[in-house]
Amino acid sequence: MSKILRVSVAALAVTSMLALTGCGRSDAAPEGDTSAAAVAEGAATGTITVWAMGTEGEKLSDFAEAFSEENPDATVKETAIPWDAAHDKIATAIAADQTPDVSMVGTTWMGEFASTGALDPTPDTIAADSFFPGAWGTTVVNDVAYGMPWYVETRVMYVNTAVAEKAGVSPSPTTWEELTATSAAMQATGGAASGITLQAGQQGAWQTLMPFVWQAGGEILDADGNLTLDTPEFVEALAYYQSFFTDGVAPKDVPVGTLESDFVAGNIASFVSGPWHVGILNEAGYEDFTLSPLPKGKQLASFIGGSNLAVFKNAENRDGAWKFIEWLSQPDTQAAWYEATSDLPSVPAAWESGALATDPQLAVFGTQLETAVAPPSVPNWEQIATVIDTELEKVTKSGLDPQEAATSIQQQAEAIGTGL
Amino acid sequence: MSTRTTSPESTSTPAVKQNKTRAIAIGEARPQWWLYVTLGLGLIVVVTPFLWMVLSSLKPEAEIRQSPPTWWPQTLTLENFTELFTRLDFPQFFTNSAVVAVFVTLGNLVFCSMLGYAFAKIDFWGRDWLFRIVLATMMIPGVVMLVPLFVLVSKMGLVNTYAGLILPFLAGPFGVFLMRQFIGALPDELIDAGRIDGAGEFRIFARIILPLCKPALATLGILTFLGSWNNFLWPLVVASSEDKYTLPVALALYSVGQNENQYGLMLAGAVVVVVPVLIVFLILQKHIIQGIATSGIK
Amino acid sequence: MSTTILPKSPAPAQQPARGATPAIRRSTPLRRRRSLAAWGFAAPFVLLFLVFTAWPVISSLLMSVTDIKSRDLRDPFNVNFVGIDNFSAVLSDPLFWQAARNTGYFVVVGVPLVMFVSLMIAMALNTGITRLSGFFRVGYFMPVVTSIVAVAVVWRFLLKEDNGIINLALGWFGIDGPNWLGDPNWSMPAMIMMAVWRSMGTLIVIFLAGLQGVPASLHEAAALDGANAAQRLRLITVPIMRPTLLFGAVLTGIGYLQFFEEPFVMTNGGPLNSTLSVSFYIYRQFGFGNYGIASAMSYLLFFAIVLLTLLQFRLLSERDPRPRKKARKASTTTAPEGSTR
Repeated sequence: MSKILRVSVAALAVTSMLALTGCGRSDAAPEGDTSAAAVAEGAATGTITVWAMGTEGEKLSDFAEAFSEENPDATVKETAIPWDAAHDKIATAIAADQTPDVSMVGTTWMGEFASTGALDPTPDTIAADSFFPGAWGTTVVNDVAYGMPWYVETRVMYVNTAVAEKAGVSPSPTTWEELTATSAAMQATGGAASGITLQAGQQGAWQTLMPFVWQAGGEILDADGNLTLDTPEFVEALAYYQSFFTDGVAPKDVPVGTLESDFVAGNIASFVSGPWHVGILNEAGYEDFTLSPLPKGKQLASFIGGSNLAVFKNAENRDGAWKFIEWLSQPDTQAAWYEATSDLPSVPAAWESGALATDPQLAVFGTQLETAVAPPSVPNWEQIATVIDTELEKVTKSGLDPQEAATSIQQQAEAIGTGL
Repeated sequence: MSTRTTSPESTSTPAVKQNKTRAIAIGEARPQWWLYVTLGLGLIVVVTPFLWMVLSSLKPEAEIRQSPPTWWPQTLTLENFTELFTRLDFPQFFTNSAVVAVFVTLGNLVFCSMLGYAFAKIDFWGRDWLFRIVLATMMIPGVVMLVPLFVLVSKMGLVNTYAGLILPFLAGPFGVFLMRQFIGALPDELIDAGRIDGAGEFRIFARIILPLCKPALATLGILTFLGSWNNFLWPLVVASSEDKYTLPVALALYSVGQNENQYGLMLAGAVVVVVPVLIVFLILQKHIIQGIATSGIK
Repeated sequence: MSTTILPKSPAPAQQPARGATPAIRRSTPLRRRRSLAAWGFAAPFVLLFLVFTAWPVISSLLMSVTDIKSRDLRDPFNVNFVGIDNFSAVLSDPLFWQAARNTGYFVVVGVPLVMFVSLMIAMALNTGITRLSGFFRVGYFMPVVTSIVAVAVVWRFLLKEDNGIINLALGWFGIDGPNWLGDPNWSMPAMIMMAVWRSMGTLIVIFLAGLQGVPASLHEAAALDGANAAQRLRLITVPIMRPTLLFGAVLTGIGYLQFFEEPFVMTNGGPLNSTLSVSFYIYRQFGFGNYGIASAMSYLLFFAIVLLTLLQFRLLSERDPRPRKKARKASTTTAPEGSTR
């Protein structure tokens, strides 16, 4: 055994010497040229390979055909990939240089993938000012934009109207004080077991917490790119979030799959979530709920998510890829895309026609998007977000002091670094 | 250890007595009905989720999401299955899964039993350290090899090919370990007799050893087929276009996060996926039981 | 009866690797030819192994001593050699230790439990019942083939605090069942229950195959001599089944130390990280793109698995029912750690 061990250690040492001598990262920034090259004029030609996840991957084929009608010399070859492992698939594809021309990329992965140098900077055929500012922000890594915000989602308040009426309060609280009072009243006199449900921790809880931080005037990074997760504003938001749990208005544990039925039954009076819940509630035959933008602290804010489309540097058909993306960002296409998938358009101009312009529930999302904020696209964001999730869970469930939690978050986040 | 176990009466037990002692042998001196009841109760526990899966695949989406869940479908529907078959290129994905699983299973049966035989019955140069290395690789968490393996496979030009899907799994350490443990138990006399008759090692392996390994081969076949059939991450990474997707990869398209999962389609898919595995299990499980008890005599 | 002949050639895997007879061993040309034949048997496996396992393993080992992150994927030589820094960073990470404790808890309780339950069921299926035995065998294999999606949905329902079936059943005995998935003290027992349920089918199949070598005649004799069921289990079944038990234990140990799926679908590591396993933590680190750290963690886990396997070989190879001399020889060839040099 020991002999084998010695031999293999020696072999390893030799290999690693060969591999590593004289190497080493000189610069953490993405290498190569970060200025975007121009895209050729005229119609798209050739084959464009596209990866997209879930429903988007499935629905894309109809749009690919429509694109080919306008660009007869171009064909779009789309491959649907499962959300579950999309991150792994894209990462391994980058490692082995097996990337397609275009891929759908989750907004919070942008920083990581852009910093590999595998993404192509966005050319000027796609204009920043045609998108919601929060949505465009998700494509910007270290001041360079990569890709196009394809569709968006944002978080709003869902309130059970009947419970609010019974409690004699407005189902649309507009300030922090009102939200506290409304949720308490709906629990005390509205017959609800819980006045509000806020995610108490675990994966993605930061997406419910951060709107309150932004409302309080907090930020994740300051102007110089330093992490600011222990500011008084951050602590204030944590304390406000915690108050719902210490007052017993928000439940500490909501078993998976029970939120919707409890909300319909009036056991849970309100919750914060994205547009997909409209569909789920309607499918359950329930329409008697009120949507409203999240309440105002010092300012209005919510979380913006969704997905972007990015072109890879090694794309075989770079021009065709950008032309396809540009076409998908046109207001008409975006509006048609909403009809097909219920994905909210990232382009405000697409909100001026059809259901998007007339439906009152959708209008709430439209309003919220104007003030919705995205976390900065830094490579290590997902890792920092997990720290927030973990500490937030201690705040809500074990009563950890908000100041201590913020200090701990800042400390751990600084140790991780932004990765830029 | 115990001298009692060698008591000579054991070979002359009358048949009637044998029946009685068989019941004792399982470690329960109580009548058999007690065992049936216990095993039956246990059976309810183990098959309930499976039955729920089958029954729920026949419910509409809203009923599946209902809380608390229903047991019997209130509305019986085949819509999940019809939608599954119309939305998925089912024959293609099924063929891909079957091709990969069959080749991987055959490869493991052949290559692992060959090496397992060599490990168990031939005293050859390098045997011990080779076995240790093979065993050790069983213990390396698979996820750590994903990226290097994919880079390698892509350098070999095998991305989006059946070869890329099959080759990395064609011979696994699990099978070697299992076959070595089982073949080691076969009496050496059989092999020595073959050697004295002048039979070559391969002939001994093919004519004497393999026929005696039925239970082990059946076990290995079931577990390898199951593992390959359910493999998700590797086919996903290697297949760069949908025409090389296997069933689990294709079905994962309907799992899009806690809130937007299409449970009806996922459950119908799970039911469809499980059928071939059950067929393989039904065919092979008999051999697990028969095997040695009858064949060891010769 | 066929079974009466078996004591001579006991159980599957009973006499591992005895090799050739001494007379043949001494003759060098023959031995050389045999070595050649053996490597011929090994060739296809070894070839595939060198290409598709050895190379990725070496690469990943290299990753564990560098600061490689996902941003270096396009240019993997563009990284710094950091020696054992990743390992010391992992070992000073309190969350890693929490994951290690959780995993240890899971293994220490789960492995013996699933081994015991599976052995009991396999024995019952093997000799206790004659009618419907095929039906029962298929039934007990069901959890292995049930989709994890269905498993998650059904188990979430079973484990509910208020009207879950498990707590309902506990209520019949006057026990106030806990909030299984919501209480950090009870989340791990819930994971263990699920894992035992899910993995026993595989072990039952393996044990059933192994039990074919346990002669009923030994049980008869012992029963006539007045040994009770527990004694017979300890003195006959376990010793003869030892190689199969060893195989099952090693397999289960490897699987359980890498336990991942149950928390992945049920709890996401929570509440308060009480079900965060080492594998789950590794998975997260890979997701964050920290390839160096994740590889280092993987090899620490590998090291733990090797230690557990050595322990299992030690525990299950000793106390062999066969004559001493033979037993010692067998253990040196069975145990990969057994030093023959």
